[in-house]
Amino acid sequence: MFCYQCEQTYRSEEGDGCAGAKGMCGKDATTADLQDILLYVCEGLGQYLQRARQFGAADIEADRFILFAFFTTLTNVNFNAAKFVELIQQASQIRDRAKALYEDAARAAGKTPETLSGPAAFAPASNMAGLSAQASEAAVRKDAAILGEDAVGARALILYGLKGVCAYAHHARVLGEERDAIYTTVEHALDMLAREERDVATLLDEALALGRANFLAMEALDAANTGAFGTPTPTSVRVTPIKGKAILVSGHDLKDLHAILEATKDKGINVYTHGEMLPAHSYPKLKAYPHLAGNYGGAWQDQQKEFAEFPGPIVMTSNCLIEPQPRYRGRIFTAGPVGWAGVRHIADENFAVVAQAAQALPGFTEDAPAETITIGFGRDAVLGVADKVIDAVKSGAIRHFFLVGGCDGAAPGRNYYSDFADEAPKDTVILTLGCGKYRFNKHDFGTIGGLPRLLDMGQCNDAYSALVVATKLAEAFGVGVNELPLSLIVSWFEQKAAAVLLTLLALGVRNVRLGPTLPAFLTPALVAVLVEKFGVQPVGDAKADIAASLARAA
Amino acid sequence: MYKVSLLTRDGATIAFDAEPSDTLLDAAERASIYLPSSCREGGCGACRVARASGEVELMSYSSAALSEDERMAGDILLCRAQARSDLALHAPFDEAAVGFAPVPERRATLVALEPVASGTLRLQLQYDDDQTFGRAAQFTAGQFIELTLPDGSAKRSYSLANAPNWDGTLELFIRLQPHGAFSDYLRDRAAVGDTLLVRGPQGQFTLDESSASPRWFVVGGTGLAPALSMLRQMAEFADQRACRLIFGVNKIDELFALDALDALKAALPQFVATICVWKPEQEWRGFVGTPVEALAQALSTAPERPDIYVCGPPALIAATEEAGRAAGVPHDRIFSEKFTAA
Repeated sequence: MFCYQCEQTYRSEEGDGCAGAKGMCGKDATTADLQDILLYVCEGLGQYLQRARQFGAADIEADRFILFAFFTTLTNVNFNAAKFVELIQQASQIRDRAKALYEDAARAAGKTPETLSGPAAFAPASNMAGLSAQASEAAVRKDAAILGEDAVGARALILYGLKGVCAYAHHARVLGEERDAIYTTVEHALDMLAREERDVATLLDEALALGRANFLAMEALDAANTGAFGTPTPTSVRVTPIKGKAILVSGHDLKDLHAILEATKDKGINVYTHGEMLPAHSYPKLKAYPHLAGNYGGAWQDQQKEFAEFPGPIVMTSNCLIEPQPRYRGRIFTAGPVGWAGVRHIADENFAVVAQAAQALPGFTEDAPAETITIGFGRDAVLGVADKVIDAVKSGAIRHFFLVGGCDGAAPGRNYYSDFADEAPKDTVILTLGCGKYRFNKHDFGTIGGLPRLLDMGQCNDAYSALVVATKLAEAFGVGVNELPLSLIVSWFEQKAAAVLLTLLALGVRNVRLGPTLPAFLTPALVAVLVEKFGVQPVGDAKADIAASLARAA
Repeated sequence: MYKVSLLTRDGATIAFDAEPSDTLLDAAERASIYLPSSCREGGCGACRVARASGEVELMSYSSAALSEDERMAGDILLCRAQARSDLALHAPFDEAAVGFAPVPERRATLVALEPVASGTLRLQLQYDDDQTFGRAAQFTAGQFIELTLPDGSAKRSYSLANAPNWDGTLELFIRLQPHGAFSDYLRDRAAVGDTLLVRGPQGQFTLDESSASPRWFVVGGTGLAPALSMLRQMAEFADQRACRLIFGVNKIDELFALDALDALKAALPQFVATICVWKPEQEWRGFVGTPVEALAQALSTAPERPDIYVCGPPALIAATEEAGRAAGVPHDRIFSEKFTAA
């Protein structure tokens, strides 16, 4: 295996990346290799789909498959090697279908279809042993000697950005929102990877195109979530357990949460959110369920301890899953793209068995002292008080906004983000999104003119909401987004965050502070481009970074 | 006080202190580390580990649990060994098999008791609802439980034959022994409605989920139980891999659970079952011979080396390991659970 897609990848003097028997995420080499092969076959699929489009032919089922396939390969999603053998066979069959689609469409237009090589012609073996032997043909760094390190890094940026776009687009799709422009961009990027493009400028332009596609994906997901469950409103959420049978739902998929709430209605079971599922409490149609009881635990990296102590079943609807420990392995379920060998998977959105498990398990035997936090400051909630916000900025009551967004992780350097929030002066407002907020979202930040100083905007994909707010405020002030008294402090861990970063860059948002470390796949030359063209800065010391942000604004 | 460091098969280090007067198993438990074990009296071999360095004193044990060759090679039984120096041990199990909480003790009610073959009973127990554990039967397929009689007079361990479930059901197949304390209870006094104390789940004879190889199960008599549990779990997970059961008994009237095997054939597309009768007393269309003979024959034409899970008397395990070795199955791809008559 060779993988360096996430922030926690193995780093050493000899070079960064996980290349042993197991990655830092717990993924074994076989599974990592199979994921590379799956994506390689998808590149081949993209070659045909992209060409078929030129003749007006499309295969939306194939596009949907690509979204799902890519989603399974994000960090902390699917660790089940057997599942990838199956997905690779499926990908290969769909690629055959796309080939026929393209060739028929070309002939119908009076053209001779091209004979494609590379991933389009790759013949995957039918079993695990055969596929493992083919791993080097699909490896991320194959042909590094020919392409050059900068091209390899830029290609990785595209590949991992694609993963984020596909994950968000998949989330939106399950709720019925799709955008053709996303599919055409995905196909185009796959074709570019397949043809071994090595011009760094061309590759970086493609990465920015993915950033724009990701904006569409986040917009589609916003439309999907608000369309299905209403517009988030400020909501007080209990963060301590109450007596009774209990289910814990983690991941990002609101549709699965809704199905679980339906399956447990009137059964005396309380449903708790975990991690990125917290913002669910702010959606009117979800919080209408009286048994959506509260939020439990912290960010994903604490799950092994917290899940072990949770007295009911646990459902992982998307990332981030880490190795289920023996103490809860029998009562954790995966859904959607998630998987772990030997863990029950729910493929049909029928969560009756989870309700049954909740009733068979002890649940919480007593009420914990009540404790709540307030969430749900999405774009509508913030723009609803835009006049107040604008007045507060003009009067100087609010000096600056810090958007502290992104993932959490186990690395020690991540205390930067809690230090940053805690050290931010009292006349500044902190906006949060993603799971990085768990490091400080139970701290008391007080209020400014009746507005809470800590405003949680939602999941990582609600970066869309933040961008809408920033754009509207910029309009109100008659300035560009980069002239607003706003600084973005981004913590990244996996590939959804990589896609969000590409979106920020593509939309011209400058001076993003990125940490806790820069992606291992970016070479010094690529980092230099990000710094020079987009003003991206690595995070430093929290106090110094706050001072620098305020000085820039002054 | 000595320092003990135990390296698990998957590379985790577990450290605890040991007084010279404690067995290593007890010393670990004082540190809230519950290492795999079963009989705790040197009879079963469930707690056997390899000693990389250091000295121990071994109290009496059965040679079925630790052979002279194994002892000479440095193996020890955690339930029989007392530290005489700092120790470095290598365990044949993964960290996942180590409990960091005591083995649960729960009450269960006998809900069914029926003869299923000559000398073999099927028991079904139902966990009582419990404030700490609920009523769920959570275990890993292949594990066993220890049952204590209602009057507390005898304890015996039995493998579970069903898959983990939320109804709290435990299914066991028990071979009656002529003068076994538990057998006497089952034969003479057991009645539906009896309450038994269940200590479990325990044991590390479970599926290696990290392996993608075909799974073969070689079992004798009631050694079928853990294999049934694992196969049923695979059926529940819609496992697509090749799997094979080689189930041996001495006589035709000792066969049982054939309906369960038919259900598995329907649920697992790649499942093959070979039923072996060693000395059929009437016409037998199945395999005539021992399960190890059937195994050797199947291995000779197998396209891919399988993982072998073997459960039965010590002789069956030894013979299976030998047959596996002869066919080139690596030693660490053979997983075994011994049971002894009781």
